[in-house]
Amino acid sequence: MARMLVVDDAAFMRKVLTDALVSGGHEVVGEAGDGDAAIAAFRDLQPDLVTLDITMPEKDGLATLRELIELDPAACVVICSALGQETKVLEAIKAGAKDFVVKPFERERLLGAVEKALGQAAVQAG
Amino acid sequence: MSPLDANVTADALMRLGASTAEAVAKALDAICAAPVERGDVSVVPADESPFNGFAFADGPAVAVSVHYVDGVTGGNVLLMSARAARAVAAAMGGSGEVPAEAPDDDANPTELELSAVAEAANQMFAAAASATGVVLSQDVEIAPPDTRVLADVAAAREAFDATPHAVSATFRVFGEPCRLVQLVPNAFVVRMTRALDEQGSEQLSGGAGLSALGIAQRVEPGEERALDELLRDIRVRVWAELGRTRVSLGAAPQLPPGAVLELDRKADDPVDLYVNGLRFGSGRLVLTDEGEWALRLEEVAGQGFRPPAIASESPAGDETTREVV
Repeated sequence: MARMLVVDDAAFMRKVLTDALVSGGHEVVGEAGDGDAAIAAFRDLQPDLVTLDITMPEKDGLATLRELIELDPAACVVICSALGQETKVLEAIKAGAKDFVVKPFERERLLGAVEKALGQAAVQAG
Repeated sequence: MSPLDANVTADALMRLGASTAEAVAKALDAICAAPVERGDVSVVPADESPFNGFAFADGPAVAVSVHYVDGVTGGNVLLMSARAARAVAAAMGGSGEVPAEAPDDDANPTELELSAVAEAANQMFAAAASATGVVLSQDVEIAPPDTRVLADVAAAREAFDATPHAVSATFRVFGEPCRLVQLVPNAFVVRMTRALDEQGSEQLSGGAGLSALGIAQRVEPGEERALDELLRDIRVRVWAELGRTRVSLGAAPQLPPGAVLELDRKADDPVDLYVNGLRFGSGRLVLTDEGEWALRLEEVAGQGFRPPAIASESPAGDETTREVV
């Protein structure tokens, strides 16, 4: 079980993500609806993994990701994107995201991406 | 605006409207786990509101709007009956159970249902922006969606600023009415027209002519010749391609210096000649006396064999650029 932070501006998507992660045996320790709230929650809660939406008002997912990586270069982040945002996803992976899922996604795909990202982070932590 | 300009604008709007409507419909197909009913796509007359005639008589409607934040200006509004919105929210539910039909009561959507509809619209409009970006040859980004419940046409007119142009596309989702309204500023039309002109000039080389633009059917014969002359002056980008391959999105940024990518061509295969993204022909790379690469054409698409020529020797001199990749 890992401790998760769910970041999405849509309350509906936060619920879908939280339900899926909890059903996979994880603990969702916090939710955030925008980039600044995500960074504050990341500092406070120090989660094992962050699911991060790309399209958000004010500070989008990419800007948030870059700040998270600056705070903690080992931050484990999985990007949630929509179809057609491939360029953003590529930028996010270059910026340090461990994996991505494209909405609408199946629960198994999300949990698979989370497991893969956590495994990758564990290897990097040595 | 001259009749010719008006025709070109109408065609650009129709192309934009059709590609966006199809991208939205495909995203809705995926969300609803069944094909949605496609209706008409039409350019809204300048003196009419694009929201006129929507079925507000059956109750309030949910409007989800996004605007572009990068690449182009403009925006989209998806208008749907409250019943359609609740059905889409249920389909988004993540439980794997998609409703067979819309709910039969007139309750307004809850906040969570509105959030689900906004997320659905986000996915639809991201796909639509991607389709538009392909036409414009650049990335088009969207802002997060804004969702509101509207009581009537007057409320819709008040909620969204009028633009010089608008395109309307109708759908039925779970049997309920939906309308996609694209609010299009003049600057967007100029960009679209230019992009379609460039695509048209590619097609001209392949013999498809103006019909590829969807213009020939809409202008008088005399006007078509005038437009043809205009298109012939457009500068086009020409390049030769040695070969290509595919790697996964995850692997691409991790390729280290020194990595070797195998391409899909043998060393003695001809290379392809592209004109503005369209394969135009093929030939052999040769070295000029000045030590520069050039391409000797062996085949031109749609024209059979031509006497050998070197691509860099354009009759227009500097009208082409060469890139060997």
